[in-house]
Amino acid sequence: MSAPPPAADPTNEADLDQTGRFVRQPNGHVRPLSPHLQIWRWHITMTASILFRVTIGAISFGALIVLGWLAVLACGPDVAARFDALAGSPLGLFIGFGLTLVLFSFILNGTRHLIQDTGAALQLKPANLLSHIAVWGPIVLAVLFWAGLFASGRVSL
Amino acid sequence: MSGRVQYKRGVRVSQRHGAGEWAIERVALLILMPLGLWVAFSAYGLAGAGYEAVRAWFANGVNATLACITMVVFCTFASLAWKVIVEDYIHQPRNKALLLTLVNLVFLALAAASVFFIVRLALGSAPLPAGIGA
Repeated sequence: MSAPPPAADPTNEADLDQTGRFVRQPNGHVRPLSPHLQIWRWHITMTASILFRVTIGAISFGALIVLGWLAVLACGPDVAARFDALAGSPLGLFIGFGLTLVLFSFILNGTRHLIQDTGAALQLKPANLLSHIAVWGPIVLAVLFWAGLFASGRVSL
Repeated sequence: MSGRVQYKRGVRVSQRHGAGEWAIERVALLILMPLGLWVAFSAYGLAGAGYEAVRAWFANGVNATLACITMVVFCTFASLAWKVIVEDYIHQPRNKALLLTLVNLVFLALAAASVFFIVRLALGSAPLPAGIGA
């Protein structure tokens, strides 16, 4: 996985280093500082990976909203009508759009994760392609979803 | 169980239940992919359809069964996924144990409550007394 740094490069020597990449541990040993977020160039595979975690968090709250919807339905038509009025309000539609975005993100990013879990598509090109689909695909699908709903007149502002 | 180091295709196998949880998480996610598409398709059909249409939709046994499976499998997946997230960021044993218990309780309750409501809707049970928005 991680190749050892080339010995010929003097900046990799702890006592010659002037970049602050080495830290003195409490026990006195000098160790290279482990790289963290801010020194990595932002990359689409990283974005997709982080977004999947965000998606899982968001879809968990989405599931709570679904539970609320089920509860409301079980309480009969009067309560359900109140829920529908709320869902049809601008804020409700905004949340609805977010829910579809999260659902499509879950499907596309989950598929990417499952494919890469098998060890496939980990090379640069396919990994980039899958990540781009997982990051941008949900936006396209959610917009199409709502464009269809508005165009068919079943949802209106 | 623990203590014996085993390898599978050159990869070390976890000595306790880690590999099993990893596999369950993947299988659950795999099942959720087609179910997710079905949810999107159903949501598109039910959006703006009105109460009676939604009741009729739940009265269909296939829809009610798939809805129950979706919620239960999702809660299985989500509790394991949240477990991984908690284990990544929370390192104090006490807080970690507390959060993991909370995660399990939340998703257990979510799954149970969802199935309860879906079954009631599917059977056409009388409306529950409304405590919400009343």
